[in-house]
Amino acid sequence: MKRLLPSLRAKKRYLAFELISEGSASRSDVVKEIMSSASSLLGDVTASECDIKVLGFEDWKGIIQCSHTKVKETRASLAALTRINGKRATLHILGTSGTVKKVTEKFLQNHRVFEPKIEKKSGTVEESGAGRLSES
Amino acid sequence: MGKPKFYDFCVHAIPDGENTVEELAALARHFGYRGIALANHSDKLPQSKSVLSSTDGFEIYRGIELVEENPSKLQGLIGKFRQSVDVLIVHGGSETVNRAALENPRVDILNHPAFDRSSGLNQVLAKAAAENGVAIGLTLRPIVHSRGSRRTRLLSDLRANLDLARKYDVSLVLSSDAMSCFDLRSPMETLALAEICGLEEDEALEAMSTIPEIILAKNRPGPGYIREGVEVLEEGDYF
Repeated sequence: MKRLLPSLRAKKRYLAFELISEGSASRSDVVKEIMSSASSLLGDVTASECDIKVLGFEDWKGIIQCSHTKVKETRASLAALTRINGKRATLHILGTSGTVKKVTEKFLQNHRVFEPKIEKKSGTVEESGAGRLSES
Repeated sequence: MGKPKFYDFCVHAIPDGENTVEELAALARHFGYRGIALANHSDKLPQSKSVLSSTDGFEIYRGIELVEENPSKLQGLIGKFRQSVDVLIVHGGSETVNRAALENPRVDILNHPAFDRSSGLNQVLAKAAAENGVAIGLTLRPIVHSRGSRRTRLLSDLRANLDLARKYDVSLVLSSDAMSCFDLRSPMETLALAEICGLEEDEALEAMSTIPEIILAKNRPGPGYIREGVEVLEEGDYF
């Protein structure tokens, strides 16, 4: 099928996020929870207008795509997320941009995922927040 | 105008919540808050007073959330804790408690005013709140953690209170009411959620930055403070 002209394509925003959770989570878990949280908070109609897609998720960081007019609604539905896989979690949006390239460069490279002490997964990432506290 | 400073004025740490003050503070700081107020419920206070560390650019304020059914005992508790805390919150939930809190100018915030089938406020209480400078607390945790009919109830209560607050010019404070690290939300997401729930953008912004600052200024008077309305602005030899 012929690809839609660039001028006709829907404009999008890309949100970089980090996941802070007490358990492990795969991409499909994240997708499932985000969708259910969005349709629960906004209703199916608005959730479909938001056009939320999880583009990638690995190493506790990822990118979410949404419609450029519905960034606020998308953010709100991400904030309403409380559990992933039955484990408590919170999703923190690092920043938004209009292209995947920019959002990756600006927010995901060199970003260390925050890790509270209570997390049970093996500590590959340094506890950035706790370290900062003890330094000062 | 620079970037607004955000505060979270209702955070519960051990033994009330699940995480230590340090963990909550580290996460709040990571999220971009300028300060949090540790407001444990008055029936679950720690044995010893914890030392609150404040690093540059981030401050932990001393707060308390009073839980008391009896209004006259509540007044006693307010008197007991007022001097030692920066933020005094009353946990509402019945008509008498709401009334006692809103009619006392020494109270800063009333949280959870809703009970049975009422949103917790009416025109009389809203007027009292405006006169005494008591803010109404909007908390995120119940909204985020419930779904379906319960959340619908919470949101319609919130709207009803919001309408009254707008009409009578009552200030609002947005807070997370976090019981653990996972209940904290970053300022931008809190704003987005508040806007979805019916607040205007500038109202939500004020409820997280300006009004908390006003409350702090009220409770941490400057060096020249003598009594309400009397302040030494410039030291000088007047006699």
